[in-house]
Amino acid sequence: MSESTQKAQAPAFEPSPAFLARQKRIEDAFNLRRPDRVPVAPAVVHYYSTRSRGISNKDAQYHLDKTLEASKEATIKHDWDAAPVFGLVSPAGPWELLGIQQFKWPGGALPDDRPFQFVEREYMLQDEYDEMLADPNGFAVKKLWPRIATTLAPISDMVQMELPPLIFLANSYTLPPLIGGIVSPPPMVELLEKMLELARETEKNSKIAAGYTMEMMKLGYPFIVGAATFPAFDWISDTLRGLRGSSLDMYQVPDKLLATINMFIPLTISTMVMATEQSGIKRVFIPMHRGSAGFMSDQQFAKFYWPGLKALILGLIDAGVTPLVYTEGDYTPRLEYFKELPPKKFVLHFEHVDRKKVKKLLGNIACFWGNVPSPLMCAGTPQQVKDDVKELIDTFGDNGGLIIDSTMGIPDESKPENVQALTDAAREYGVY
Amino acid sequence: MASKDLVSALADLKEKEALEISQGRLNSGGDPMAILSDARRGMEIVGERFASGEYFIPDLVYSGEILRQVTEIVKPKLTKEAKVKRLGKVVLGTVAGDIHDIGKDIVVFMLDVNGFEVYDLGVDVPAQKFVEKIEESGAPIVGLSGFLTLAFDSMKQTIDAIKAAGLRDKVKVMIGGGQIDEEIRKYTGADAYGRDAMAGVSLAKQWV
Repeated sequence: MSESTQKAQAPAFEPSPAFLARQKRIEDAFNLRRPDRVPVAPAVVHYYSTRSRGISNKDAQYHLDKTLEASKEATIKHDWDAAPVFGLVSPAGPWELLGIQQFKWPGGALPDDRPFQFVEREYMLQDEYDEMLADPNGFAVKKLWPRIATTLAPISDMVQMELPPLIFLANSYTLPPLIGGIVSPPPMVELLEKMLELARETEKNSKIAAGYTMEMMKLGYPFIVGAATFPAFDWISDTLRGLRGSSLDMYQVPDKLLATINMFIPLTISTMVMATEQSGIKRVFIPMHRGSAGFMSDQQFAKFYWPGLKALILGLIDAGVTPLVYTEGDYTPRLEYFKELPPKKFVLHFEHVDRKKVKKLLGNIACFWGNVPSPLMCAGTPQQVKDDVKELIDTFGDNGGLIIDSTMGIPDESKPENVQALTDAAREYGVY
Repeated sequence: MASKDLVSALADLKEKEALEISQGRLNSGGDPMAILSDARRGMEIVGERFASGEYFIPDLVYSGEILRQVTEIVKPKLTKEAKVKRLGKVVLGTVAGDIHDIGKDIVVFMLDVNGFEVYDLGVDVPAQKFVEKIEESGAPIVGLSGFLTLAFDSMKQTIDAIKAAGLRDKVKVMIGGGQIDEEIRKYTGADAYGRDAMAGVSLAKQWV
């Protein structure tokens, strides 16, 4: 699969033998071919790399250079087969400048050693569905921006302002006072100052991120993830309506909920195809929240969740992109659904699942990734971790469709010796 | 409409029907306490259906919303506080550092419909607040909820604080949350862990 040679980010990059070997190892596992040995690659690393190097969560959040340096050190130390993607702990500077309301973070409203967390609310009300469906972009700017990013309120006010006759004012006599009048009220001045700072901050972080990407690839570590999206239902439930809101909508306004899902499906596909073209890595990470067992019934899953997820997965496959389906919670009761999908074209990462059942139902369909329990990583011993990895290899190793990782990537509080045990076990038990 | 009863309207999540029956009974001079008691019986059935895997979170949320509306209708006519006989007291909350409330809310709901008096301390609850509530309420059962891996240490610290306050032998402590297992029960020093809300209810029933 030469598609993942990362040309967009690295025009001058000449892959080293070590880079090619790691990349082949991952791609073999994704394609259910036996690699030279079982790969070890965290899908997600939030604060493990920084915490284990004594960097506070606050510093990780505010200093991207420190975070990525720690990420590099952890990757080399544990000899992972892929470098962790950046952006999972996003820089908080831009959040602060924008007045972001959907996150709380260390150094913001939270103490320095806490992880950032999502603040779930009804950012869109149930009686606003019609307005949003009729004019989604207008709704985003007019209603959502000021609710989720308070700094942007003046923009929202401006687009809702009754405009003076612009044609009459479009001349050198009246344009300066018109524009001057728009930009001079104090909230607008504050917005402009913050936007300038945001531009500088974004520019700085983009350079740091691009430097990290190139350095890791030169050191021989490929990246797995090219872009990320939720399935349609989770965009709505997580970020617009909240769990309570989306639950009530299933009963009270199911048609509006479904209409929104149908509107989001093509958007999730087209934005991801575009983003993978930009990153040059044709794989999309799809973390999933509300579809797991316990969160909704099988009928609700079939009606509200699966259609959006299935369309997203198939749409990406059609565009030559590999979906990395990252299940959260227990997915055992949903496994049958994935049999509807074309084999070897997608990958499944697991938190909780019945391993034997996965092997039986999907063993020849999708690579198994993850599932070493987080309690073992945080409170267990290296031997317990190695025993668990051995069980995974014994279950899934026969056709090569296995990548080692913990349940939700590497937990923040993992003991470094347990993280190393993942790598050691793959070497000890996973050489084909 | 009056032929259908409120208990099953609520249990079957028929919002319109439940509200019409409640309003109808109230208009024809029905006892508001009896309406609430029927609604409560309906919620117990909702709890049973959740426990048996027929209902899920969206259904619990919806039943709660219907109950809220029934209570709104009845409230102006209520003359006395509803007194319900309770099995026992439980102090429950999401531990310090973690603001996840979904799992905790389900356990609170299930304990409530199963007859427990629950002191819900909310999310990101400091250890000391648990200690104070245990002392104040005399509750013999404590539930610690957490979703993040940092909750492992917060749970341990909370149980240590209960110990330090001399309350450890007066309470049973259960822990739960997406990533909790026997390994973490040992690590925190809890008495038991529950995989789901029903496990929490059966532990509480054993312990009262």
